[in-house]
Amino acid sequence: MLGFGADLLWADMNRLLAFLFHQGVLDEQFLQLQQLQDEASPNFVSEVVNIYFHESEKLLNNLRGLLMERELSDYKKMGIHLNQFMGSSSSIGAKRVTNICVAFRAATDQSNRAGCLRALEMLEHEYCYLKNKLHELFQIEQQRALVAGVRYPVQNQ
Amino acid sequence: MGDKELKPCKPKLIKRIRLNGGHEGLNENFSRACRSRGEGNLEERRSFHNGRRGGSLRKIVVTTRVSILLLCSLSAFVLRFSASELSPDDVVALVAPMAQSRSAGDACKGGTAEFPAGLRVLVVDDDATTLRIIEQMSIRCRYRVTTCTEATVALNLLRERKGCFDVVLSDVHMPDMDGYKLLEHVGLEMDLPVIMMSGDSTTSAVMKGIRHGACDYLIKPVREEELRNIWQHVVRKIWNENKEHDNSGSLEDSDWNKRGNDDTEYTSSVADAAEVVKAPKKRSSLKEEDIELESDDPATSKKPRVVWSVELHQQFVSAVNQLGLDKAVPKRILELMNVPGLTRENVASHLQGWLMRLPVVNEKFRLYLKRLSGVAQQQNGMLNAVPGTIESKLSATGRYDIQALAAAGHVPPETLAALHAELLGRPATSIMSTADQATLLQASIGLKHSHAEHAVAYGQPFVKCPSNIGKDFPPSFLTANDVSSGYGAWPSSNNTMGSVRPNNSDERVGTQYNNMLMDILDHQQRQQPQQKQQQHQQLKQQQQPLVHDQSCSINVQPSCLVIPSQSCDTLQAVNGSASVNQNCSFGMNAIIDYSLLSQKSNNSVSASQFSGGDTKTQAVLYAHTTPSTCSMSSINGSIPQLQNSTLTFGGARPLFSPLPMSDRQDPYGLKSGDSLDQVCLRNIGFIGKGTCIPNRFVQNEIESSVSDFSQMKVNVDSTGNTLKEEPNFINMQKVSRRPIFGRYQSCDHSSVFTE
Repeated sequence: MLGFGADLLWADMNRLLAFLFHQGVLDEQFLQLQQLQDEASPNFVSEVVNIYFHESEKLLNNLRGLLMERELSDYKKMGIHLNQFMGSSSSIGAKRVTNICVAFRAATDQSNRAGCLRALEMLEHEYCYLKNKLHELFQIEQQRALVAGVRYPVQNQ
Repeated sequence: MGDKELKPCKPKLIKRIRLNGGHEGLNENFSRACRSRGEGNLEERRSFHNGRRGGSLRKIVVTTRVSILLLCSLSAFVLRFSASELSPDDVVALVAPMAQSRSAGDACKGGTAEFPAGLRVLVVDDDATTLRIIEQMSIRCRYRVTTCTEATVALNLLRERKGCFDVVLSDVHMPDMDGYKLLEHVGLEMDLPVIMMSGDSTTSAVMKGIRHGACDYLIKPVREEELRNIWQHVVRKIWNENKEHDNSGSLEDSDWNKRGNDDTEYTSSVADAAEVVKAPKKRSSLKEEDIELESDDPATSKKPRVVWSVELHQQFVSAVNQLGLDKAVPKRILELMNVPGLTRENVASHLQGWLMRLPVVNEKFRLYLKRLSGVAQQQNGMLNAVPGTIESKLSATGRYDIQALAAAGHVPPETLAALHAELLGRPATSIMSTADQATLLQASIGLKHSHAEHAVAYGQPFVKCPSNIGKDFPPSFLTANDVSSGYGAWPSSNNTMGSVRPNNSDERVGTQYNNMLMDILDHQQRQQPQQKQQQHQQLKQQQQPLVHDQSCSINVQPSCLVIPSQSCDTLQAVNGSASVNQNCSFGMNAIIDYSLLSQKSNNSVSASQFSGGDTKTQAVLYAHTTPSTCSMSSINGSIPQLQNSTLTFGGARPLFSPLPMSDRQDPYGLKSGDSLDQVCLRNIGFIGKGTCIPNRFVQNEIESSVSDFSQMKVNVDSTGNTLKEEPNFINMQKVSRRPIFGRYQSCDHSSVFTE
């Protein structure tokens, strides 16, 4: 019964991950991230994801600010922000977010304000969703590590 | 001191050196090693040692096993040993770059597993996420990576630490400076291979990258496998340049020495050059730029160097142009250049070297050599018969030329014209003149400067780029390209085009030339609707001779620009390390170095060459032991700082403490005061910023909006024609269900338990 909790949690985690992959929220790049994590950098994934969230919040705020301007929106600048957002999202494997960025980018290229607004909304939704899911994932992982660690203090995970 | 007696060693092997603290021993041993190795350039080594004062150089055992590569011109810190000569308590010095890179080629050729390790990479990207990921990937590849969020900072870093980096990875879109601008700067000033990265995978973007001289163009998200391959650009560059330099300063090539003493060797006569080229069957090229600027006696046993800087070369080129092809004799060039201290021999050898690099003239030249040597011109025999670097130099760029020409034996002007006309729809008349020239060249073997004439006919467009792009450029450029394109289209068995692309990295200095060229090509291509713009990967196809020309025309850039600077770099690197150690002045917090050479052994510390620094974020050692054993031999008095701040990185057992994290934050340009807090928080585990919406609702919402999204996407698609291609994602089907979190630890308490 001791090992049960950890295994259950592990299963939860995998299930969630599989679900996210299936939904297209995450893609193979996320796996690459996980592979980059090792003993030398045990917190790599969470670290990178944290950086990503941190930067993305800023970008999203900027985007919203730019789009909400009374006068002519600076589409070029939006495009620049979107480039960065796209790059970082694709780097961590956030597929859906990236796709929306692409569409958003297209809208800015055409200076299509309505399209941009819609895209921004979608982007924020997707981003929130992703964030929630990744939170969840990390929480499960923490719990799992806790549970496993308590029982097997010498175990090298 | 107790250093061992060094056995006399064979060339290209370095003896073990025992270092037991005190740099006198280091110096002595090292010099001895160098001498026994037969290296001539003790100067560089000594100056390196002078810079390594201060620290007690501990016993450093990199490995007791065999085959650590010496990457001389890469300025890496590995040495090559033979297994039998190592013993467990041997100590290996991590040495500075040597100017001679003879063995680099051999060493690199070995391709052992260790080689790409230690590659010094500079990554520039404004996106913190990508930067961190690439950093981690580089660490996994065992590169020594430095990260930067700003291009200006990166440039300064490169300028300050010349010769300290092997390759630069740069994002295309950056706020402070365009990635292409950075690319140009790096190409011009430092001549490092630059690899672009971008999420934009459109052909035009990639093309632009090539045009600006990028060695490669990676599409984000960058995968680790791609990063593992970037060393090829470095090696290629070095090889191609080594072949130019190989003869100079080499004591091993005594033949060359003797030859070098002879004044007549430095004439620009084809006959002499042929003789020089033919005789030694080594992979060294013609001697060039071997003469000291100050010395006016060329017939000396030493071979001092002429530094052909960009300005000097441009003077040279303009002089050649001014004189005209048929009159471009070294004497006249020299007069026109009017550079004090430059001798006719300097000019002559430079002229030779410059001409050798032009593919078509190389071809003619080789044909001429063939005739001289009386070897039958076989299609493949041609490649084998002419020794040395001409062949290998040409191997990628010129081979198609050679084969084409060899197949035909001789280029009939009519064929050329016809091909040209067919391909480009241009009037063939302009080609005729060039083809006639080609014929003339072949016929006029005895002419002293026939090759020069022909060469400059082809070389001229490139050379004249900056000044004459408006007028002279298009016609002459077209002819050159057209002829080349004619060559390219011929033999169906031509499988060397594929190798052309990698050579983009060879001559990168003429990026401005490249720009001009590409602009013209663009112009051309626009007029040729049937010619499509291709990605550089597609240059392999024969059906795109124009694009192919692009690549080969890039290669035609006078790479003599490259050579001296490279040697300068290596020289400077050695000197530079001294100076860096003494007055490293960067106040940038944005840089962190990782050195990754020794990952396994306990006591291994890699001494970082450029690790002078007064900010604690500089020059990190990748220490595997506790911080106290980390010694930075080349740091003056900043060891304690480093120990405190940086040594908790890396594979050490110590956890990621907040302090280095704050250092790490800096590269991302986050100057906010709360970054440290966030960082601490991050280490404790993933602390989110609060969930936006409960999962369930979000999910529903998202699902309902997904359809909108797809709807919207469709709308955009139908209306927008500027949708960029998506990054290349792998489909879900390929995702395998496997325990993914095997090694996944997201919080520190786990390591508390496990350790």
